[in-house]
Amino acid sequence: MAELKTLNHHYKDMWVFPDAEDLAGLPAKATSLGKTRLLLWVTLILTVLGVVGFVMRASADGLSNYEPWGYYMAAFSFVFMVTAPAPLVSVAFRLIRSHWRRPLTRIAEIFALVGIVNFVLYIPLMLMIPEIANPNEIGHHSLDIRRTLWIQVPWGAPHFWETAAMFSLPLMSCLILLLSSTPDMSASIQYVTGAKKKLYIFLAGYWKGSKRQWLVMQAAIGALGGLYFLTLPFVQFLISTDLGMSLIAGWKDSIFPAIYTLMGFQTSLAAILIVLYVFRKWGGYERFIGASPFWSASKILLGLSLLWIYHMFAFFITFWYGRMEVEQNILNYLFVDSWFWIFILNALGSWLIPFGILVWNPVRRADWGAPLAGVFVLFGALMFNVRTFVGAFNAGREQIYDISITVVPPAVAPDIWDLFMLIGVIGLAGLVYLIGLKIFPVMNIWEIKEGAMYQKMGRLFRGNYLVLAKPE
Amino acid sequence: MVVKIEHKWGMVVDLDKCTGCQGCVVACQAENNLPINTKDLFMQKRAFEWIRIERYWEGDFPNVKARYLPVMCQHCGNAPCEPVCPVYATYHNDQGLNVQVYNRCVGTRYCINNCTYQVRFFNFWEPTWPERLQNQLNPDVTVRTRGITEKCTFCVQRIRRAEITVERRERTKLNDKTMAARNFMPACVQACPTNALMFGDQNNKEDKIHGYFEELHGHDGHSDSRGYRILEEIGTDPSVIYLKKVDQFKMEHSESHG
Amino acid sequence: MQEGRILPPEQINKDLLNSIMSTPKWYWPAVGICSFIVLIAATVVAYMINKGLGITGLNRPVMWGFFITNFVFWIGISHAGVMLSAILRLAKAEWRRPASRAAEVLTIFSLMTAMTMPIIHTGRPWRSLYWFFPYDFARGIFPNIRSPLVWDPSAILTYLTSSVLFVFIALIPDFAILRDNTTGLKKIIYTKLAMGWQGNARQWKLQIVAGILLSALILPVFVSVHSIVSWDFGMAVSVKAWHSTVFAPYFVVGAVHSGVSAVIFVLILLRQAYGWHDYIRREHVEALCRLLIVVSTGWFYYFVMEIIFGIYGREADEVAIRTLQFTIYPWNYIMIIFIVTTYFLPIFLWSRKVWRRNLLIVSIACISVNIGMWLERYILFIPGQINKQVFTFTWANYTPSLFEGIIVLGTFALVTLLLLLFSKVMPLIPLYDIKEGDILKTEVQIGRRTVPATFRED
Repeated sequence: MAELKTLNHHYKDMWVFPDAEDLAGLPAKATSLGKTRLLLWVTLILTVLGVVGFVMRASADGLSNYEPWGYYMAAFSFVFMVTAPAPLVSVAFRLIRSHWRRPLTRIAEIFALVGIVNFVLYIPLMLMIPEIANPNEIGHHSLDIRRTLWIQVPWGAPHFWETAAMFSLPLMSCLILLLSSTPDMSASIQYVTGAKKKLYIFLAGYWKGSKRQWLVMQAAIGALGGLYFLTLPFVQFLISTDLGMSLIAGWKDSIFPAIYTLMGFQTSLAAILIVLYVFRKWGGYERFIGASPFWSASKILLGLSLLWIYHMFAFFITFWYGRMEVEQNILNYLFVDSWFWIFILNALGSWLIPFGILVWNPVRRADWGAPLAGVFVLFGALMFNVRTFVGAFNAGREQIYDISITVVPPAVAPDIWDLFMLIGVIGLAGLVYLIGLKIFPVMNIWEIKEGAMYQKMGRLFRGNYLVLAKPE
Repeated sequence: MVVKIEHKWGMVVDLDKCTGCQGCVVACQAENNLPINTKDLFMQKRAFEWIRIERYWEGDFPNVKARYLPVMCQHCGNAPCEPVCPVYATYHNDQGLNVQVYNRCVGTRYCINNCTYQVRFFNFWEPTWPERLQNQLNPDVTVRTRGITEKCTFCVQRIRRAEITVERRERTKLNDKTMAARNFMPACVQACPTNALMFGDQNNKEDKIHGYFEELHGHDGHSDSRGYRILEEIGTDPSVIYLKKVDQFKMEHSESHG
Repeated sequence: MQEGRILPPEQINKDLLNSIMSTPKWYWPAVGICSFIVLIAATVVAYMINKGLGITGLNRPVMWGFFITNFVFWIGISHAGVMLSAILRLAKAEWRRPASRAAEVLTIFSLMTAMTMPIIHTGRPWRSLYWFFPYDFARGIFPNIRSPLVWDPSAILTYLTSSVLFVFIALIPDFAILRDNTTGLKKIIYTKLAMGWQGNARQWKLQIVAGILLSALILPVFVSVHSIVSWDFGMAVSVKAWHSTVFAPYFVVGAVHSGVSAVIFVLILLRQAYGWHDYIRREHVEALCRLLIVVSTGWFYYFVMEIIFGIYGREADEVAIRTLQFTIYPWNYIMIIFIVTTYFLPIFLWSRKVWRRNLLIVSIACISVNIGMWLERYILFIPGQINKQVFTFTWANYTPSLFEGIIVLGTFALVTLLLLLFSKVMPLIPLYDIKEGDILKTEVQIGRRTVPATFRED
């Protein structure tokens, strides 16, 4: 395994070229996760705390009124925002044939299992969502329906359709995970034992690796990925609007679902990069994960953080410009007055600090740059969800059919059960993800093998450069 | 000695008294050198009506009713037309008026688009008057060339004349009485046969319109007063108050109390 | 798939400079027709400045019509340049190489054309200096920086300046080749323009660094220009259809969509007109179409958001505008035509690889996109003014006049004319980009197959 230097003094492990010996040992390595007992116990305890918090809150306030559940919604939205777009990250980078995606696709796809958790967490929210049609008499300053996508209120709206859409997401993503890991599971059957072996044989025993099977598998992943790509923004739109924006009277904001979707990509990528870094640093995968995924992804993260502030500014200036009271009240509530400090933390985490970290070339080229920025991105997203959804849930139930809010409510601090639910939801997501890592091979073996064929070191004039084959 | 001016001009329109006679429209046209609205100009939908009477029909035959709404520039406190002019041709002066500076206007028409009440007008053509009508033009008011945006000014030329005559020369305050004595009020107010339009100083406690503005700002929408402002919920803070028609008001009033 | 042959540099020079060195038969007639149309349009503009805006179809309440639609359309087209030359350069896409110069040049000319539109559509164009500069020294009043119309010139002029700089710097090596291949007056001019380019290592390094720096620096300008133009409308509180927070990214993505489509069409025309079959290959067109599938889907998402939030809450005045857009003649037809031509027809035509490689089909798709995007601006701007606020008494329709149509046609002719004139003096495909691409091509042995490959230059 040669050490690589180019004329441009790259980080020394920028590209890695696993040799045949490395690749032969990869299936065994990828299916044995190593020391995870501590992590499993920690996430399990957090989950239990979360359940305790949920039960206490449910017994105190019930499930019919949404107002006390702001922090639960924020926690759900945070986990949904981070984990739901992750399978898309793998599909998208596969579609554009980026060469550095290979180590991270399986890590991204395993987040699909957390999608099941998202669906389960979503069900209580469906019970507490307020009615669309205005039950009161229509007054002068009142709308006949609250703000929502379901403008003609068709049959089943919103509960049936939202639940169906929400259910379809983990269905599709788990299928993507299954299809993508079938060749790897089939390659690893001889290296695993016990229940896992039986599972692998059940799921992937039919796999022969014939040309037709490969073509069908890749076509299926492409088709499912496309469907997921169409469904996910729709669900993100529904959740951000019906459970967030529409509960604050007067908040008519067409860019908010786009901000929500954008933050989904940003946080997913951040989470994937953090897990990838953990594998490279402490998982012993440095022969398979170079610095180049971090280098390329950090440019995307930098761009996304700038896009975040761009979208936020577009929203802010449109609302601020006319000095109209309705819009000023919304701005005061969510940005300037009540939730001011949370907004500052949000902006620091989603924009300023990642920007400040990733704008430096050497930091982007190092393998720790993007994960470090990613940590701040995740923190910023948590603050965003708290500000938006706790703010929405506490804006005053009696005002949601009004044209605009007239009183700016104060911010709401979490109590102990809220905190339990928050860490519980995150813990549960982590637990399921860990279980996924233990079940499925953690590296996308077939893609890494493919990459090893396509990536070589070549000499041009006086320097060594990466040579990328382009078979299509 | 210069008398300090602290006026805040406003108008009150009593919809109960308005008969829709359009006398105010004609008076405004005469006073402010508005171009003549020929049939061609009207069919092009470019007619000038600094104050317009909107007529809405209610009900079916034989119980048809007409409702008249005189709409002129509302001189909004939070005017949407002001921040968008690229050259500061429209701005808010210290007497609460939204003023239009004709010689600065470039004619981008953003202010017209952003006007909530649709009370701004643009000179698409060079205005001309037949020779015999040119003597009728008011020398106190600029004649606008084409490419300029214009609108109701609360007859600012009359306000200025009042300030000069009454406040500077006669050293008396401009209030209801002095203004009425000198007939200093906008042309539309002066011409209205039923006195449906009232003009005055919001800041002056003795002014007859002062009370209406006090009531409006004092309560929070459940009013015993007839006064309201159009499109209040948008938040433009207009300086014109409309008084609801009595029978409609009585209906609504008795509903909420009955 | 890399299907081109690797040609010797002298051959590349000869091929790509043929537009300058020789004149095809169709050239002067084309210039003549375009000049004629531009002349007619200029006459109409002069007539309009003389007579007043009354000769247009504008009225009260529709104060912004064809000219503003056209203005936003050309600003939109101008976004192709940065997308193809800057963003694709930073993303290291090899297929940008033939397209970057044509895209950048189209950017500059469409920006210049776009800038004429707001000026001629003001009531008193000769007073425009009040708008752009602190000209009114007598009164000491500066332009109102709170107005989006004042943000416009600063954004557009910044974009224009940086695009011109970008193109000029990229042209220097090509000027040097021209200097070495011409005589007489032309040689003198090209020598001046080439600024002493010798092609040594230091100069090449500076050239590459300048290209990367300019690409990165122009990105914020690229995003902000169309956002600021969109805020001309987004800041309008009184026109409900315009007061939408999504306008900024919506317009930018729409601009990339229409701009890149226009560039693809121009590239196909250039390929046929100048015989550049070896340089503008089907693989380039195919890759650009794949990019457009993503961009257009992003555009469609923002468009759906804008429509949904228009009706969100069912406020009476905004619902009236949307009802007009979707159900009342002629807007309902315009709406259907626009949605089909902007999204569904092109996506369908770009869906199969075989069709993406068919230049006629791609041309149809790209023209369809641009027709649709022009209609998009039209249906976005006018109905909001027609049904403005709740005062149905002042609602009125808008019928564009012949003069507006002539002027709009004149802008298309102007851009075409400028492109044609440019192709006579400067090469529309960057020579050294092509040569660099050829150097970076190589082959890799995978199993029994020999697969084409590229060196990654970093």
